[in-house]
Amino acid sequence: MKAVIHRALLFAAVWLVLTGADPAGFAAGLAVSAAAVWLSLHLLPARHPFKLWRMALHFPRFVIGSVRGGVDVALRAFSPGLRLNPGWIEVPSDLPDGARAALGGELSLMPGTLVAGSAEGKLIVHLLDTDAGFDAAIPREEAEIAALIGRARAGAP
Amino acid sequence: MTVWLHIVALGLLASLGGALWRVWRGPSQADRMMAAQLVGTGGVGVLIVLAALQDWGLLVVALALALLAALAAVGFIKAQTPDGAGDPEETAPPSGWQNRRATGQADKRA
Amino acid sequence: MMADVATYVLTALGLVFFVAGTVGLLRFPDTFSRLHALTKADNLGLGFIALGVAFQADTWAQLAMLALIWALALLAAGTVAQLVARAALAQVQVDE
Repeated sequence: MKAVIHRALLFAAVWLVLTGADPAGFAAGLAVSAAAVWLSLHLLPARHPFKLWRMALHFPRFVIGSVRGGVDVALRAFSPGLRLNPGWIEVPSDLPDGARAALGGELSLMPGTLVAGSAEGKLIVHLLDTDAGFDAAIPREEAEIAALIGRARAGAP
Repeated sequence: MTVWLHIVALGLLASLGGALWRVWRGPSQADRMMAAQLVGTGGVGVLIVLAALQDWGLLVVALALALLAALAAVGFIKAQTPDGAGDPEETAPPSGWQNRRATGQADKRA
Repeated sequence: MMADVATYVLTALGLVFFVAGTVGLLRFPDTFSRLHALTKADNLGLGFIALGVAFQADTWAQLAMLALIWALALLAAGTVAQLVARAALAQVQVDE
């Protein structure tokens, strides 16, 4: 039920943005939002509890992380010597599929890590520089995503 | 301000030109696809700047381009998977990929 | 006046990150490293451009639209990066 309210609010907000909150579009927006909620529950059933306030808490860290990621890669691109030492690591993860995709997307925007999906329950992570300790952020981010869907994790902040 | 925003738009277009070289030379299909993604993101940036310069209605065009760029990538992935279902995880990565130093030879497949 | 200064600074930063993304795409030695450059630098560039232009917006609707574009681009970037990386991985030829 909570998932329905969350999604209805999200789609209604997107509709308001797209139409510039024009009152003439409210009726159509109601119908479209309802259809969008139905379709989204069909395609992505709400299997896990989702903590919106955790997401709000997490958002600033995500923005800071993605800024650091962009600065890091820009410095490497402009540096004359190209300080790169690319390599792969595998990280075991017991997150459910959707949460693992969210973690992968997030890590792909953080400094130095790029997720290439998973195989046999392990995340496949490409590191831009295997000496820079980028992989230290992975368990931290995983704990944060686990907390979003209401899973306590040892070592969570 | 008008002059500066035009300079920014031109700068963005120039960086798109660089990306087109990657579309042309590859070498891998993934390289070409990601360069096309850069053209998509850059195009959205140009449209946002032009929206401030000319007509805010261009923001809708920028949103549509952002959506199209994402769908283009999904189309690429669907073309890459064996049964066209678009799930790249349905086949396991080739054995030994972990030991492979990334050397950019990913694409010279027979 | 202050808003104009913010626009100058932020759009300049955005342009720098876009150029960095392109330079990375051209200079980095392999497919996966290039994907790092594209995903991270470009989205930051787009974020800064959108933020800079937001200081010139006249209405809330325009601000909300800019935020929506940025959110969509961010979501798409994280997802597309994973998908393209995995598709490229399937093509990797392992040199013995």
